[in-house]
Amino acid sequence: MKDYLKLLILVGLATPILVFADAGTALKTDTVRAEPFADAKTVGNINKNDSVDILNKKGAWLQIKTKKTSGWVRLLSVKRGAATVSNNAKGVIDVASGRAGTGQVVSTTGIRGLSAEDLKAAKFNEDEMKKMESHTLSASDGQSFASAGGLNTVKLAYLKGAK
Amino acid sequence: MTKLLISLILASGLFATQTMAYDFGKVLEDAAKKKIEDVKNGGETPATATVPDKATSPAPESGTSSATTSAATAAPPPAQPEFNWKNPSKEEEIALGREITGSLLGAAPLVKDEALQKYVNQVGRWVANQSERADLPWKFGVIESTDINAFAAPGGYVLITKGLYQKLHSEAQLAGVLGHEIAHVVKKHQLKVLQKQQLLGYGAGKLSGLFGKNDKLAKKALGTGAEISARGLDKDAEFEADRMGMVLATRAGYDAYGLADVLQTIGQTNKSDSSVALLFKTHPAPDERLARLGDSVGGSLDNIKAGKTLENRLYKLN
Ligand SMILES: [Zn+2]
Repeated sequence: MKDYLKLLILVGLATPILVFADAGTALKTDTVRAEPFADAKTVGNINKNDSVDILNKKGAWLQIKTKKTSGWVRLLSVKRGAATVSNNAKGVIDVASGRAGTGQVVSTTGIRGLSAEDLKAAKFNEDEMKKMESHTLSASDGQSFASAGGLNTVKLAYLKGAK
Repeated sequence: MTKLLISLILASGLFATQTMAYDFGKVLEDAAKKKIEDVKNGGETPATATVPDKATSPAPESGTSSATTSAATAAPPPAQPEFNWKNPSKEEEIALGREITGSLLGAAPLVKDEALQKYVNQVGRWVANQSERADLPWKFGVIESTDINAFAAPGGYVLITKGLYQKLHSEAQLAGVLGHEIAHVVKKHQLKVLQKQQLLGYGAGKLSGLFGKNDKLAKKALGTGAEISARGLDKDAEFEADRMGMVLATRAGYDAYGLADVLQTIGQTNKSDSSVALLFKTHPAPDERLARLGDSVGGSLDNIKAGKTLENRLYKLN
């Protein structure tokens, strides 16, 4: 707990770094490294479904702590949240959001779902379609918008599917 | 009867075009093979499907007589232009997407916020520019629904629900979500499903005359157009869209992990919450998607300069 406090203070001082103290779960086996770099020293590893504490984030790396080890792992190897989520709240949520078990809206509190049934029953709406079409932009419109935001293109090939 | 007719046309056309290096070749082949199997199992004239002269023998079953007709009419071109399911043109693809999207808009209209709609079109257009189908007239929209979901339709139509939009924290995250949908369009995932259905004969006839003389789409074609969006694609198509979406957003100069962030958020949503019911029905679990994405990425982004997140430019909804 004290460490946790210290960390919050520390992290709070370094402006661009996000504050994390989340529970996480390992999505796969991966190497834990001393620093957030691919060639940093290996300090341990995580296995699928291991519980981890997420302490920090830097680029594509997460700083984590497990029962066995602590260090940095790749961002995509860990999911935020505990391994199992309770379903106890189901009924409460359904009632609170004004939905019946069918996923259909049963009240008019502004909640508007989009279930498979809704889609099956849907009728073409020409007016809305025309509205959508009226917003169509050209490739150069996109380019101007990107320039305004300081976005520069990066050369990167598509990734191959794993396995 | 119509089903058989379609399958026969398909089967005979297939052998003539076998050398054609066309994207849909495999889909068509699978569809044709399956149909031929079905016919075989049903005890109907299987091998004769491609042999027109068999039609001269008397046919006790009505299915056979329709085969006669189809074989005879297959040669001259149809009087009315028909939707070319085997090799749809760009215009046909767009017309199909318009039908589906218009129907989705019938279920949930656009959010009445011009600035928001303009903004998603700007981000979407820029991300789509990074794809090999920058030539499409890409259209994006935010729809009035509390559900967490996004939809793509052939020809460059992409919709995202207000519910999902409100979960976003940066423009990079929006770019990642739109990138996933753009990838579905680029890889023609939905189009392939529709083609397969049509060529297998599901809903055959519904679409005949879809394009009339004036090239105008008949309404109510496709049953209700949005129905396709309620059915899922196969898992591999979803994983592929994740990989491509991530790359497209990265190419556009955004932080590569925007889509992954959103998958994290969705993964934390209670699975029994009805707002994610359709999304979870049509897509693999977020955990699985993250893990697969991680497997594919590996170290391939290690030397890519960090992209922009642009939290502050994300258009805020009231
Ligand atoms: Zn998808």
